[in-house]
Amino acid sequence: MREKIIEIRKLWFKYENTFVLKDINLDIYKGETIAILGENGAGKTTLIKHFNGLLKPTSGYVKVFGKDIRESSVAELARKVGMVFQNPDHQLFAETVWEEVAFALKNFGYSKKIIEKRVKWALEIMGLTQYSNNSPFSLSDGERKRLSIASILCYDPDIIVFDEPTVGQDFYQKERLAEILKLLATRGKTIIVVTHDIEFIVGRFNRIIVISKGKIIADGLASKILTNIELLRKANLYPPQLIYANYLFNEKKNISYIETPREFVKMILRRVYEPKSL
Amino acid sequence: MSLKVFEGLKFKKKNTVIHRLDARTKGLYVISTMIIAVIFTDIVPLLLLLIICFVLAIMAKVVSEWIKTMKGVAIFALIIFILNFITITENRINQSIAMFLRFLVLSASFSIFFLTTSPDDFSQALLKMGIPYEYTLMLTIALRFIPTLARDVQTIIDAQRSRGLELEKGNIMKKIKNYIPILIPLIIYEIRRSIMIAEALESRAFGAEVKRTNLYETKLSLIDYASILIIFIFTILIIYLHYLHILPSIFYLKLPEI
Amino acid sequence: MMQIFLKNVSFWYGDSDKLVLKNINLKIDKGEFVLITGPSGCGKTTLCRILNGLIPNFYSGKLIGEINILGYDVRKTPTYVLAKNVGMVFQNPENQLFLSSVERELAFGLENLGMHPNEIRKKIYFISKIMGLESILEKAPYELSGGQQQKVAIASMLVMEPKILILDEPTSNLDPISTLNLIKLISDLNRKLDITIIVVEHRLELISPIVSRVILMKNGRIVLDGDPRKIFVEKKAEALGIGIPKVVEIYKELCKENIRLSRVPLSPKELVDEIRRIVYERKDN
Repeated sequence: MREKIIEIRKLWFKYENTFVLKDINLDIYKGETIAILGENGAGKTTLIKHFNGLLKPTSGYVKVFGKDIRESSVAELARKVGMVFQNPDHQLFAETVWEEVAFALKNFGYSKKIIEKRVKWALEIMGLTQYSNNSPFSLSDGERKRLSIASILCYDPDIIVFDEPTVGQDFYQKERLAEILKLLATRGKTIIVVTHDIEFIVGRFNRIIVISKGKIIADGLASKILTNIELLRKANLYPPQLIYANYLFNEKKNISYIETPREFVKMILRRVYEPKSL
Repeated sequence: MSLKVFEGLKFKKKNTVIHRLDARTKGLYVISTMIIAVIFTDIVPLLLLLIICFVLAIMAKVVSEWIKTMKGVAIFALIIFILNFITITENRINQSIAMFLRFLVLSASFSIFFLTTSPDDFSQALLKMGIPYEYTLMLTIALRFIPTLARDVQTIIDAQRSRGLELEKGNIMKKIKNYIPILIPLIIYEIRRSIMIAEALESRAFGAEVKRTNLYETKLSLIDYASILIIFIFTILIIYLHYLHILPSIFYLKLPEI
Repeated sequence: MMQIFLKNVSFWYGDSDKLVLKNINLKIDKGEFVLITGPSGCGKTTLCRILNGLIPNFYSGKLIGEINILGYDVRKTPTYVLAKNVGMVFQNPENQLFLSSVERELAFGLENLGMHPNEIRKKIYFISKIMGLESILEKAPYELSGGQQQKVAIASMLVMEPKILILDEPTSNLDPISTLNLIKLISDLNRKLDITIIVVEHRLELISPIVSRVILMKNGRIVLDGDPRKIFVEKKAEALGIGIPKVVEIYKELCKENIRLSRVPLSPKELVDEIRRIVYERKDN
């Protein structure tokens, strides 16, 4: 029996006389790896800010682990829902990398012993141990990004939300990020990634939620959603290259979900040796 | 409360005579108001100035915003009244009310100025008065980035709260310490931003060793000249009559003292 | 006609002894459309800063080697002279637009150069027509979407009629459709205005099909330089850790199966066209 950890019903959120979120209904279960997809301004960030209580609904409700978020403080919710913001420079402030990671643990009242252990662990996982005593500001872009992730991982929240983690990242950095997500998933964490990087999503998420103009217009398997060209167009997105190539090749019918170049080639080979199906 | 004050200082684009007046004309009005307000410590003249301000607000169709400012500064005006009332021995009622009114009049005239003058026109006026372009640009950029800065502060607060920072908790010392994780990222972030802005400025030939031109040239219109004349005459007349003691006695009306 | 010439150029920032650019040799001709890419920290941004003179005039450091940009040596030329000739658009449009209306933004550079207001008006009119900005001239830049802001940033450079336009990760902060539109716009500008364009990018899928040349950098050096169709299939490119477009990966996999497409595709459309051609050829055999 899957444990439901986030439940949202009829969520409407108003900001300065406009509804940014309209009638959101959503169930998120423990252990899922979800991508929330949508154009800039669709409402993705507004939605996730409800998960840790930074924003409260104008109407409707949001329950995290069964408790309405209106009944908890942000600090209480943050303990269970870790949020990695898009720009690490919006949070780095400590004198050392070690202190930066320890910040959340201190806020949550952990003992010195546990803080020691956890900080060491988080820095190891993110490959930052050698910078423990350095200033966070002396790190490179990629390292600062990993530091911001470490500062959330250290207190081991059950749910981890990433807001646009691939913006400005190069290929290696994105690969590394994908590995981290996989690692967290194997540890039973529930992962939610907000992004508009279509290529990054392919093969890495089992569930995709598409948001457009404040509404959820699709919620389901990656294989169904990423192959639905019309839907993606409606959300002002375009399909991943492999799928678009597939779409063109099959003359716009019967698009199967192709995740790797190898799979695409296999499909071509089948067609080449069965010319009748062309 | 403090936000209401700023509402009354934000420029609102409207097509009224007052809006169309050159910033320098309006500046002159503010200066003349200040001079008269300082010369008189009597209730009637100050009330008159306030009424003139109110009339201008009506003409400029900015009454509701203007009133917001007045509400916002009312507290400070009240404090001034009380302080005066407590410390002065002679003529306390009249003096205190006069100080109270003087503060209101000054705020009122500044409010009219900023409500009807766009930041660009303001910078332009400063430029015409001889302030170097570097400084007026600094002012323009600062004003333009205020909402951006406010947004950054909110993002930083959100990010730190998401790591368990509780700003409301603790005694005074703890509360101040809580702001360090907000101020440091903010300062560093904005310094970085200012470097990027500087790069952009350089890339657009800022600082070129030629005389800088301006797409928009402000010129004083006939109405401006007429208004300036009126303000001048009015101010000089009032001052002259005051020092010659020829002003009607109603100007020096005093309320009964307690 | 050669516009950019760098020979044995190396650079250290400030007093540091870390070599950020190592022995760069580069020639770029008029009208080229060049993509510069490479892993984070490879020196792409530093290279761009030399091209428009921000190095060494804004960012100090030790710059050695032969440098000729449109006849100027950046070490001996003030930035405002270079700014007239080399436009630079940065990643974040928010930090490039700081005035209260789009019209003022377009006028800014020309005002700095002391141009007569009537001339300025003419040039603004021309550029806003080309870039479709007429309807937003009165708007404040911060009211615009990210994509529109980048458009205005580009226009505010183009209005100065530079011969070279450099764009440093211009689509970084933009969403998919805005990215597509911006890339289309840049491609149009290269053709219509015959302006040399240099783009620095990480995401290669959309931009690869329209550029004429790709320069791959790593650790401060230029590792590969040439036609994207040749460069992307090289072993060195793979080892570099850049996001080689998936359609190129498909081409390589097909080669392993002894299916040789007539040219390396850079977009899904090119790939599918090439595959269809091969399949029909096989059918005919």
